[in-house]
Amino acid sequence: MILVVGGPVGQAEHEDEGHPERPERVAAVMAGVDDLHLGTDLHMVAPYEAETAQLTRVHDSGYLEELAAFCQAGGGDLDPDTYAKPDSWTAARRAAGAGLATVDALRRGAGDVALVAVRPPGHHALSDRAMGFCLLNNIAISAAALVADGERVLIVDWDVHHGNGTQAIFWDDPNVLYVSTHQWPLFPGSGAATEIGGPNALGRTVNLPLPAGATGDVVRQAIEEVALPAIDDFDPTWVLVSAGFDAHRADPLAELALSSGDFADLARMVASYAPRTGRLVLFLEGGYDLGALRKSVTTTLGSLLGALYQCEYPTFGGPGTEMVHRARGQRREALHRAWQLTPSERRVR
Amino acid sequence: MKPVKRIAVGFDGSPDAEAAVRWAMTLAKQIDAEVVVVHAVGLLEHAAGGGVARLEKAAAELARECGIEPAQVQWHVGDGDPCSVLVRAGTGDPVAADLLVVGSRGRGAHAGLLLGSTSHELAEHSVVPLVIVPVGRAGR
Repeated sequence: MILVVGGPVGQAEHEDEGHPERPERVAAVMAGVDDLHLGTDLHMVAPYEAETAQLTRVHDSGYLEELAAFCQAGGGDLDPDTYAKPDSWTAARRAAGAGLATVDALRRGAGDVALVAVRPPGHHALSDRAMGFCLLNNIAISAAALVADGERVLIVDWDVHHGNGTQAIFWDDPNVLYVSTHQWPLFPGSGAATEIGGPNALGRTVNLPLPAGATGDVVRQAIEEVALPAIDDFDPTWVLVSAGFDAHRADPLAELALSSGDFADLARMVASYAPRTGRLVLFLEGGYDLGALRKSVTTTLGSLLGALYQCEYPTFGGPGTEMVHRARGQRREALHRAWQLTPSERRVR
Repeated sequence: MKPVKRIAVGFDGSPDAEAAVRWAMTLAKQIDAEVVVVHAVGLLEHAAGGGVARLEKAAAELARECGIEPAQVQWHVGDGDPCSVLVRAGTGDPVAADLLVVGSRGRGAHAGLLLGSTSHELAEHSVVPLVIVPVGRAGR
C-alpha cells in the first residue's frame, strides 16, 4: 500500500507566538508519518497555491479579496481565536492547493490512501468568514472540485469540534454527505442532530453530538447506528476526512477521551465506505497536543496501510450512549417533519 | 414594527463592549425592556477557562452603574465566535432578542478594516435590528 502525502504546508509563514495552532503541529504530523518507515511506499506531493477559480467554488470572492488585503496590510486578529500574518494568505492558498494536488495524485493512481498535512486548518472557515483558527476551507475546496467533476463526496469529520464551515458550504448540495462527530456543547455551538441539510439536500448532513468524556466505542456506535444508513443510501465515490486529532484524551482544547488506538479503528471503519482504494483522503484539522498528534497520525495511517505500528488501547465505557440514541430520534423526527413540507415550504424554513 | 421587549448586548470586556452595555441598559430603562448580556466563548477561552466569571462580575458592575439591579440583568454564555453567538441570540431560544447591541470594535478587530469586525459581520447576518454603539458614546 502506498501513502500519498500532500504538503507539508504551514511552517513559520503562519505563526502567532503562544498560539496553540502552531507550526510544530505539522512537524509532529510529519514525524508521525516518518515513524511508519514507509520508504518507497511514501509518495510526497508538492503543494501549489490554489487559484482564485478553485477557491471561489466555496468562498465568496469579496472575502478572498479582503483576506488577501488584510494579510498584505500586516495581518492581525480576525476574531478572538483566529489570526492572520503577512504570509498567511500564501500559506492558506498553499494549504488549499495541497489538497487539490493530492486528490489529483490519487486520481492518477499515485497511491492507495492520502494525507494532506497542512495548516492553517479549514473546517470552521465559512464561505465569507474566517473563524476557529481557519482561513480557507481546505477540505471543502477539494470536495467542491470533485463534485464539479460529477463525483459524490462523503466527508467524515472526526475533529472534536463541529465543522460548521463545511456543513454550511454544502448545506444544500445533494452531492456531498457531511457526517460529523463532535463534543457538544462546545465551540462553534452548531452541530445539533436536528441540523439535517437544506431543502435540496435533506438528510445529507448527519450530526452526532457527544458529551465530554465520550470514549472511542461511543464514537463508533454513533457512526454505525445513526450515520451508516445515510452513507449506504448516498453510495459515495470519494471519502474525505476532516482528520482532527483533538478528540484525543490528552488534547488541551476539549474533553473527549479517545486514544490513538481509537483513531486507528475509526480510520478502518471510514475506509470501508470508500468504493475502492485510492479514494480516501485525510485532511489535517485540529490536534494540539504534539505527542498525541504524532502517535495518532502514525496509528491512523498505519491501520489504513497495514503497516506495523504501536498504539494505545482503544477506549471503552465513557458516557454518550443515551445521547447517541437521542440524536437518532431527533434526526428521524427532523427528517419526518421536513419531508411532510412541500418543496416551497422547505425553502422558507 | 415588533416592539422591543428584550435586548441582547454583546460583551467581551473591551471598552467598546462596555459602552454598548451601558447604552443597552440605558435604553432598556427608558422603554422598560429586558437586557441579556451575551458572551461568546471561543476555542482559546474554553481552553484557558476562568474568564467567564470575571466578565459576569464586570457586567453586574455596569448594571449597578446604570441604576439597574444586577439580578434583573440576564447573562447568557454561548459557544462560538462572537458573530455566530449574537446571530443566534436574535434567532430564537434561549435568548430570542428583539434587538442586538454591540460596540463598534471588539477584541478581535483592527481599526479601519472591515474584516474581523463583529459589528460589520452582524450587519450582514443579523435577522433582528442591530445597534452599533460608536466608541465613546457610553450611556448617551
